[in-house]
Amino acid sequence: MSRHPSSPTIAALKNQPLAPDLLQQLQQAAAFKKWPLAKLISLFENRNSDAAQTRHDIARHIQQHPQDFPRDARVIGFTGTPGAGKSSLIAELCRALLQMDANIAIAVLAVDPSSQISGGSILGDRTRMHYGKKEERLFFRSQASNLELGGVSEATFQATRLLRHLFDLIIIETVGIGQSEIDIQFLTDHTFLVMQPLAGDQIQFMKSGIMEVPDSFIVNKCDEEKLARTSYHMLRSSLKQARLVELGALDDYRNAAREQIFLTSALKHLGIDTLAQAVLNIPRRKTAEQCETCYLKKGVQRRYGEFGLRILKNEPDVLTGATTFEEKEFAAQAAIQRHIR
Amino acid sequence: MSDKQAHIIYDKDGKSSKDKPWIFRTYAGHTNVRKSNELYRSNLGKGQTGLSIAFDLATQCGYSSNEDIAKPEIGKVGVPINTLDDFAILFDQIAIDDVNTSMTINGTSMWLLSLYVALAEERGIDLAKLQGTTQNDLIKEFLARGTYVFPPDQSIKLIVDMYEYCLRKIPKWNPSNVCSYHLQEAGATPVQELAYSLVTAITVLDAIRERNCFNADEFEQCVGRVSFFVNAGMRFIEEMCKMRAFTELWDEICQQRYGVKNPKYRLFRYGVQVNSLGLTEEQPENNAWRILIEALGVTLSRDARCRALQLPAWNEALSLPRPWDQQWSLRLQQILAYETDLLEYPDLFAGSPVVQSKVEELKAQARDEIQKILDAGGGIEAIKTGYMKSQLVISQAERMAKINTGEQVVVGKNRWADGIASPLVGGNDGGVFKVDPESAAETLHALEDTIAKRDANKVKACLEKLKEDAKAGRNLMEASIACAHARVSTGEWAGTLREVYGEYRPPTGVEGQSLALENAKLQQVRAKVQTFMDQFGHRPRIVVGKPGLDGHSNGAEMISVAARHAGFDVIYFGIRLSAVDIVQSAIEENVDVIGISLLSGSHNEIIAQLMNELEQEGARDAIPVVLGGIIPQGDIPALMAQGIKAVFTPKDYDLMDIMNKVMDIVLEHKAKRG
Repeated sequence: MSRHPSSPTIAALKNQPLAPDLLQQLQQAAAFKKWPLAKLISLFENRNSDAAQTRHDIARHIQQHPQDFPRDARVIGFTGTPGAGKSSLIAELCRALLQMDANIAIAVLAVDPSSQISGGSILGDRTRMHYGKKEERLFFRSQASNLELGGVSEATFQATRLLRHLFDLIIIETVGIGQSEIDIQFLTDHTFLVMQPLAGDQIQFMKSGIMEVPDSFIVNKCDEEKLARTSYHMLRSSLKQARLVELGALDDYRNAAREQIFLTSALKHLGIDTLAQAVLNIPRRKTAEQCETCYLKKGVQRRYGEFGLRILKNEPDVLTGATTFEEKEFAAQAAIQRHIR
Repeated sequence: MSDKQAHIIYDKDGKSSKDKPWIFRTYAGHTNVRKSNELYRSNLGKGQTGLSIAFDLATQCGYSSNEDIAKPEIGKVGVPINTLDDFAILFDQIAIDDVNTSMTINGTSMWLLSLYVALAEERGIDLAKLQGTTQNDLIKEFLARGTYVFPPDQSIKLIVDMYEYCLRKIPKWNPSNVCSYHLQEAGATPVQELAYSLVTAITVLDAIRERNCFNADEFEQCVGRVSFFVNAGMRFIEEMCKMRAFTELWDEICQQRYGVKNPKYRLFRYGVQVNSLGLTEEQPENNAWRILIEALGVTLSRDARCRALQLPAWNEALSLPRPWDQQWSLRLQQILAYETDLLEYPDLFAGSPVVQSKVEELKAQARDEIQKILDAGGGIEAIKTGYMKSQLVISQAERMAKINTGEQVVVGKNRWADGIASPLVGGNDGGVFKVDPESAAETLHALEDTIAKRDANKVKACLEKLKEDAKAGRNLMEASIACAHARVSTGEWAGTLREVYGEYRPPTGVEGQSLALENAKLQQVRAKVQTFMDQFGHRPRIVVGKPGLDGHSNGAEMISVAARHAGFDVIYFGIRLSAVDIVQSAIEENVDVIGISLLSGSHNEIIAQLMNELEQEGARDAIPVVLGGIIPQGDIPALMAQGIKAVFTPKDYDLMDIMNKVMDIVLEHKAKRG
């Protein structure tokens, strides 16, 4: 049997109490101790089949002790081309959020592409997240898109399963405008598309159809007021062509945020507070349950194609009673296997 | 005009004459101002004709010696300067109205020039008599050297301020020195050296022209003040051609772009430090020959001969040179200039079809590259986008690959590597210079003394004025000179401007890079990576960290690219990190190994800080740490005793050998700890 991680056979799961050392790690992670938390994230990213049992144990523990895990994060995505200044913007946004809300705890997942040749990656998003000292309420983790291990969204989805119980806000940063970014929206309550001013990005986005993905637009690097004003009008006329807004004679760039257009300069700290306020007000749109269902289907489709998806659709009852994602995966697999035999 | 002979130099009266030698310099400065002053006076006594001042990294990056980030660096790679009181000691008994002083200073050049001006004013010296150069080339700092302080636009503004001030007050001062030196050290090809440094000069001159502070005559003079600092490597014929290409291209740019009419102001004036990158740790005595050959490249051709020359010492790949090592290099210059007949002839290569053809090729390729950058928005834009940086990283990786495969021969390293052990490194000091760690106390005491004695209200007022002028966009020279007189410290001056301008973190050189390397060693390391993945369910993760103020990031970036090529997930986030930053990232990212790169000589102090930080996080034995850089062999046992698992020095040039070793350490460590 190949140990290729993208197609492990899911083993039967035991219901057992969480091992004491893991329990301790989980409790420390909930108190923002970074190393235990980092190790648990590695466990959720782990593609070996034996890690599934441990994840199942942790997920069950959290389900059974809701009072110990009062946080329930909203998930926000930032996507856009390299060079739009996403990392600097997120660094400034986090700084503003931590100042505005003395209790908020934020986890950032920054995804960079893996090399198609070696499978390795260089994860450089911390370059901008440079606080100089330890900040307890902020956790930053780099992830590689790891295409051969099931795609960016798989590892990111897995990490959010844990993080959503420990933080108030999860920020996911992805590069580019490809399939991964479109996938990310299945995880998020709100997606921002970050663009450079006057760089012709808008045209590219429209061609690729991604204009319809984001809930809001950010034109970053608006270091001068004139640039902000011009960018606002240019973006609106692009959106008009895509029939997403109506243009009016009285359109004023100072009211941009009302129509979900944010004009920011990470360098000059402009527009950041407005953006932070909007982030704090973002309503919840997806439950953890919905995300799990979506990623369950993606997994089934990857392993069994349309055939598997059809079985899942025709036999929705197979998932009844499954409590964790791992149980759902196992149940779905068992149902499909019955048809194969 | 009858019987002039082609092999004789004639002066303007028609008499046969001989050229004067170039300026002999030795890049020097260490420990503290008192020790450095002794060294300078002794060097001048030995026949050196100019000073070349090396500052420590804290001074270069705008920190006072008493700041945490500065402490491991005090006096390591140069002299620490905090206040005007330090400058008074540094130049004690040195006639600054007579000597030509070159300062290797960039992010804080305005500050160091202000101190020099204030010193002259206190000594009652006419400013017009001051001669020298502040290096002040920020573009190459962003690209290769790393001691920038402020963002690109503000950095250029400060340079323009200095040109404006100097032209009127210190006309013999070169406010900036466009450097191709560091580009070659970072891997630049001759064409890249030509193109990127000329783009730098264009960027500065365009900014000056845009400020519109000079009339046409003054602007011509200002163009005439632009000088260059160039490198010369082992391919000495090509290097000589490169110098001729520089001279011709510069003349072209001055005429065509800036309309400079007076040929005097179109002269390509340049100083040289020959290449250190090609010097080897293996059989280090061979470096003496390399330095000689490199010196020939910039002296043989009269039409492209350097104005000033400084040579590295034979043991630079080992650590910092001792005074004797520097004296040996100075003697080389003196022998070349005074014992040979080199200075008696007109240009030896004029009319050579070989040289001319090579020069034309270099010029054509450089013109194309210059145009490409200008079309894409110019020098500043190419810094912000990381274009030039990425090109340099590619060239460096190609160079390393050629050495790895043996295509580029390096004697004693990849050919004829067996030899008799060098007696030169046999002494008690291991053949290298060591800064006495106790000597930093003298610098700190002097700073305390100055702070106790100075007028605190005056300091405050001067810093307020500096801040106000910075916010208003005024020329900051006068306010800085006032600060110097008031005994403001280096950290206070830079800190005040940081508040206004912010601090810049440029793109790292790793974006979009790849390594075209396929060999058995790569397959070996990838197999180890696969073993790791099968066993642990994820790729091995490494943090590559550059702690401290040393900005030579290319080694760390090459390792990052190599590690990705081997199959690692690599966390790399640039330079100037504290031990806390690196340990925090290692923990948050849950890495399997930490790789540290250090070239500044402060490895003992910084590794102690790092280990201490790991200890505090309870991770000291949990995450293995490896170290690479310029590390003297004698320091390695103590570093290993602190818990470092492997030390890589310039001897370990095969990237995949390094990766194999790192992977072995990771697997062994995991096997032990699970």
